[in-house]
Amino acid sequence: MAQFWQQIVGGLAAGGIYSTLALALVLIHRATGIVNFAQGEMGMFSTFIAWSLIENHGMEYWLGFALVLLISFAGGAGIYGAVIRPLQRGGELAIVIATIALLILLNGLAGWIWTPEVKAFESPFPHSLITIGDVVISWQDVGTIIVSFACVLVVFLFFRLTRTGRPMRASALRPRTSRLMGIRVTLMLAVGWGLAAALSAVAGMMAAPVLALEPNFMLPVLVYAFAAAVLGGIDGPVGAVIGSYILGVGISLLSTYVNYITVAPELQLPVALAILLVILLFRPSGLFGRTVVRRV
Amino acid sequence: MRLRPAALVQLVAIAAVAAFVATYPLYKSDYEATKLTLVGIYLIAILGLNLLTGYSGQITLGHGAFMGIGAYTTAILVTKTSISDYATIPLAGIAAGLIGFLFGFPALRLHGVYLALATFGGAVAFVSIVQSTHYQGLTGGATGLFFGPLKNPYYLTWGICAFLYLVAWLLVHSKAGRAFKAVRDAPIAAVSSGVNIALVKTLAFGIASAYAGVAGALLAIRLGSVSPLSFTVTLSILLLTGAALGGLGSLTGMIFGALFIQFVPGFAEDHVSKTAPQVGYGLILLAVLFLMPGGAAQLLHRLGTLLYRTTRPLYTRAARRAEAVATSTRSRT
Amino acid sequence: MPLLELEDVEARYGPIKALHGIALTVDEGQMVSLLGANGAGKTTTLRAISGIVRKSGKLQFAGKPLPRAADAIARLGIAHVPEGREIYGEMTVWENILVGSSFRRDRREARRDCEEVLEHFPRIKDRRRQQAGTLSGGEQQMLALARALVARPKLLLLDEPSLGLAPTVVSAFYEVVTRLNAETGLTVLIVEQNASIALDVTERAYVLEVGRVALEGSSDELKEHERVRSSYLGY
Repeated sequence: MAQFWQQIVGGLAAGGIYSTLALALVLIHRATGIVNFAQGEMGMFSTFIAWSLIENHGMEYWLGFALVLLISFAGGAGIYGAVIRPLQRGGELAIVIATIALLILLNGLAGWIWTPEVKAFESPFPHSLITIGDVVISWQDVGTIIVSFACVLVVFLFFRLTRTGRPMRASALRPRTSRLMGIRVTLMLAVGWGLAAALSAVAGMMAAPVLALEPNFMLPVLVYAFAAAVLGGIDGPVGAVIGSYILGVGISLLSTYVNYITVAPELQLPVALAILLVILLFRPSGLFGRTVVRRV
Repeated sequence: MRLRPAALVQLVAIAAVAAFVATYPLYKSDYEATKLTLVGIYLIAILGLNLLTGYSGQITLGHGAFMGIGAYTTAILVTKTSISDYATIPLAGIAAGLIGFLFGFPALRLHGVYLALATFGGAVAFVSIVQSTHYQGLTGGATGLFFGPLKNPYYLTWGICAFLYLVAWLLVHSKAGRAFKAVRDAPIAAVSSGVNIALVKTLAFGIASAYAGVAGALLAIRLGSVSPLSFTVTLSILLLTGAALGGLGSLTGMIFGALFIQFVPGFAEDHVSKTAPQVGYGLILLAVLFLMPGGAAQLLHRLGTLLYRTTRPLYTRAARRAEAVATSTRSRT
Repeated sequence: MPLLELEDVEARYGPIKALHGIALTVDEGQMVSLLGANGAGKTTTLRAISGIVRKSGKLQFAGKPLPRAADAIARLGIAHVPEGREIYGEMTVWENILVGSSFRRDRREARRDCEEVLEHFPRIKDRRRQQAGTLSGGEQQMLALARALVARPKLLLLDEPSLGLAPTVVSAFYEVVTRLNAETGLTVLIVEQNASIALDVTERAYVLEVGRVALEGSSDELKEHERVRSSYLGY
């Protein structure tokens, strides 16, 4: 029984990491109508910057964390303005290819600047364990859950309090008409990209102590986050977050209790995706997605 | 028969390519010719992808996996049976096509990003299954299968490519092709016109996958081996990128796409940055997107319009002269 | 005092010039219509005012030149209800109306305006939570108007509101607009192909032909004008 709870906590920690990245994906999808393939690599790049500041230059962790969030925000908005906005006339596919180009570019750039050697990324949380009765859980997991949830909450509150959620959605649906309503469309979309970049940075910095820092480390995280976002319904931020936790816990329990996967750990990802596909068959818009009615 | 200038440019382009391809091995080394064989293989693959994504509007991240299915079909048949490698090509195409057709059914319910995820999942699953120790007996696990020497099936590849190009062209210009485009552009209108969307979409998947399967088979024959890591999502992304840059919705553009897939990664490594070839590739990709958002097809179209504008005075002058002659002869009689 | 003044306005779509020097004025509190055949430049004129097309020339609003950015123009108090309504089909009716007021700083009053506006449109008030894309054409037109009104505009630009709508629906729509003009003094500039209803509800009109103003005058005058009658009124 103790193992069950330990697996739950581990799954929630993984889910927390996925949730920040999944929320970033949903933000971009709501803002620009596409899936940003480079979202994981943006997080990876930010994490390398964090490593450089904290490990290399000895900056205090949480100061570095905050600074990286600001840098990431600026970087995300900058990428929107410099790369995405000019290409919007080329159609959605052009933008998707652009994000693929960014993925390749960032991956190569990180390897070139910081070398592809695996680096250690220190966790801000104590290495000790918490014991509650029979159950033993790590501060790393608990800390990750708290930080991820806090960041997601901050983003939700931001949209609520500044009431930018709706104009941002409007900007994505019909940019020209939204301008006619006095909405600063470009600003909205740039903010969306900036926030998504900051969220990806959080995902990266939470995942790095566990996965170890090297240019490819965010790729599997992106896959799971993508799956979680789609599972929750790609247009719903709440659904994406819930979907992430479900996915995290689900995989954790599956790998412990289902023999097939413990026997062949490399089948973990395809089995998870297979289950996801089955769910999609019954709910093509994700678990919480709103099916859009098309009027004839 | 008066040809539209855009069509004329296309025909000229195809004729030029055909002439180039036919004579290339005669004056180039076998090593160089091999590179062009690969271009032909990629061209077959993205012709299929074009039909699926460009004409039928369904986005897929699994095309590389279907090449893998074709490749592994060839490898397994050659290893386990006495069928010759070349004979497996149509079988590989059929196998991939059938699986693609079956995949098309669940794909009907999914759109856009959901379909992308589903195909992505399928692609990852393919690699994992083929790589796993569980099925090692059949697929050779992580090391793959070796069944023959390195070959260069240059003329076979290009012959098949020309044939499949023609098939694609006929398909696109047929009633079926119009049905494809209708499903892509205005699905609701298509349904009310009696188009069986389900059939069109699943057929598109099947045909595209068959193309990929043939390409995969040829690749396997070229290498004499198959390995799971040759058919990952990276390949699918590479194919999608090449097709998009060639200009989705244009068959001739695909030639550029195939050339891009084969030569640009190497170019990036040699000429842009040796230590970070990906940086070079990413930058080139972005540059192409900025300069030609409509892909190479847009470039061709522009060339055609340019040609039309510069030669139009010639047409009208010639036409006027012809008419003057006609009226003068008429008045004489 | 003219609220809107256009002089020598030209506009282009890429290499194609659509307006070749438009001059018009709209006084405060007036209802003016822009008539003309397809392609005459009516919609382009509205777009030049609201800032979503490349333009040059003199455009003044309340005595000051219009800014360049479309969202800045909207915030000045010019609401443009575009051709084809352009409502957010994936949002609910209520959400659509809220979007119209999103730039307003006075949150509480904006919310109150949204509720109030909905009272003026009982037909869509009942469909508050319905997805906007499922509304009928007439309801969508009402929604588009409601959405524009919650911005509390000084000038309302209507682009072909009668397009694709049944005559009774069109009458109901113009009834609302006329009432608004009478009760609140809202200035309205209407682009219409349906010349007869436009001339009925407005005081003055301009007739555009091939990107230029061909005729102008009071609506009554133009109703009797020979060319207007034969080309646009059909009798």
